[in-house]
Amino acid sequence: MGLLTILKKLKHKEREMRLLMLGLDNAGKTTILKKFNGEDVSTISPTLGFNIKTLEHRGFKLNIWDVGGQKSLRSYWRNYFESTDGLVWVVDSADRLRLEDCRKELGALLLEERLAGATLLVFANKQDLPGALSKDAIREALTLDEIKTHHWCIVGCSAVTGENLLTGVDWLLDDIAARIFTAD
Amino acid sequence: MAICQVQFNDDTVKIPEKVLRRDQARLEELERRRNEKESQSVAEENVDYFTATFSAEKAAIEDLISSCANTDHEKATKMLEDATLKTQQLQKFLNDSVMFLTQYELRQAQASVQKLQGSVVERRAEVMPKKKFAFRSRTARTSQPSASMPVGDKDKTTYFVGNAAVHVRASAEQYGFSNVDSQVLIKRSEEIQQRDVLLSHLADCKVILYGSPNTVHIKNVRDCQILCGPVSSSVFVDECTGCTLVFACQQLRTHNTTATQVYLHVTSRAIIEDCHGVSFAPFNWTYQGMDNDFRVSGLDPKRNNWSQVDDFNWLASGTPSPNWTVIPESERISCWDAKEPSS
Ligand SMILES: Nc1nc2c(ncn2[C@@H]2O[C@H](COP(=O)(O)OP(=O)(O)O)[C@@H](O)[C@H]2O)c(=O)[nH]1
Ligand SMILES: [Mg+2]
Repeated sequence: MGLLTILKKLKHKEREMRLLMLGLDNAGKTTILKKFNGEDVSTISPTLGFNIKTLEHRGFKLNIWDVGGQKSLRSYWRNYFESTDGLVWVVDSADRLRLEDCRKELGALLLEERLAGATLLVFANKQDLPGALSKDAIREALTLDEIKTHHWCIVGCSAVTGENLLTGVDWLLDDIAARIFTAD
Repeated sequence: MAICQVQFNDDTVKIPEKVLRRDQARLEELERRRNEKESQSVAEENVDYFTATFSAEKAAIEDLISSCANTDHEKATKMLEDATLKTQQLQKFLNDSVMFLTQYELRQAQASVQKLQGSVVERRAEVMPKKKFAFRSRTARTSQPSASMPVGDKDKTTYFVGNAAVHVRASAEQYGFSNVDSQVLIKRSEEIQQRDVLLSHLADCKVILYGSPNTVHIKNVRDCQILCGPVSSSVFVDECTGCTLVFACQQLRTHNTTATQVYLHVTSRAIIEDCHGVSFAPFNWTYQGMDNDFRVSGLDPKRNNWSQVDDFNWLASGTPSPNWTVIPESERISCWDAKEPSS
């Protein structure tokens, strides 16, 4: 095997990213994943366990893990932390009653050692609903400005219309790429 | 389906890494082939085609809305129904085209659809004066104005989350009923169509929602009967007890609920978590205009998985969950209008 081939192989491996998508149940995680991949979103069932999806975007190979957000499954989230490059935290922007729960879960997650290096993208989802809180209101409610340990960004989006999904993911990829692919 | 859905129980948590990886490799290959095919067809998608079709459809709908002013009642109603349906289809068309539109095009188109929805609702309110709704029973009270106010304060609501107070221009946009006792509460289609509806802190009420909300949250409700037209996405139920819930939706998520009956139409799945004494029967309520609301909701009226309930606290076992049951046919309520709220 020539040197060039070896280098190419290495490079290819390097351009893989592992993204973990978490959030309370009903936030729209599975819908985001499927919409991003251009699939039908009208038949999605509540997630029992997890979905894994691998897709190519801008020459990156993305391994996306979508893990169920039900209370009884949250203690299993830990099983998926290993070697996570990016954390996508999805919020139902119209669910005012669970914002506090949402803030606590995110706060606990950011203390996890194995997620220490990960970039955080917060999707303020369901912006198409008339009663949805704006991304700035969500930012305040989740006290995102207090996060000093991770690179983070919040993007308002709708998994149903697809609005801003690409914007969010592109930001995430750029941030991760700048961090881990600087060697080449 | 390329997605690998793995049942979450004690066995599968311990799936050996090797097996997972092999399965993953297989899925990836499938995925790669599918993506190849897909990107080809996407390349053939034509933004011009989208723009032309979209504006033609939009013009047709605007026509319907404006011309129903000069016609009689019955015709106008028909035309508005038609306009609603067409707007819904336009939204679907837009949703399906998202992947090849720019952010700008998408935003413009989405704004147009919303404007159309708004004009239909406005025009309907003009054309059809609100019917006075009366219950046959003398004991039943109709809703008080205070109860049908949007949830929360008039113009501003403060949420205390952690140490931060969050001010949100909330209430005008969110619809529903909160903090009501022993009343009959009704919403009509034009008030809740494709909105997010919240019902919270209710006791001994009968709630009837005619129309098709986008999503419904029911939280902390005791001894109520709640009837609701077809909901486009999910219904989220939390902390209910002694209730009878009757609705159609895409997903049902039930938490911390006891002694409650659900007459359900669900096109994907219902789940329960931290519940007991919940029982299910097929949705059997009808009202005038329900067929149209089904069309607006986008739900398939022929697809009902009401009896396939997943219990998140009962995944590891092969035996059925003790937390939910099917209501025996002989015990099912069939006539909803005659039923009065408990007093
Ligand atoms: N209106 C609206 N509904 C959404 C959006 N995203 C998801 N939903 C609905 O929310 C419900 C829960 O979505 P799902 O993806 O299953 O949530 P998950 O538990 O986070 O995976 C479904 O009924 C979706 O159709 C959105 O952007 N707008
Ligand atoms: Mg899910």
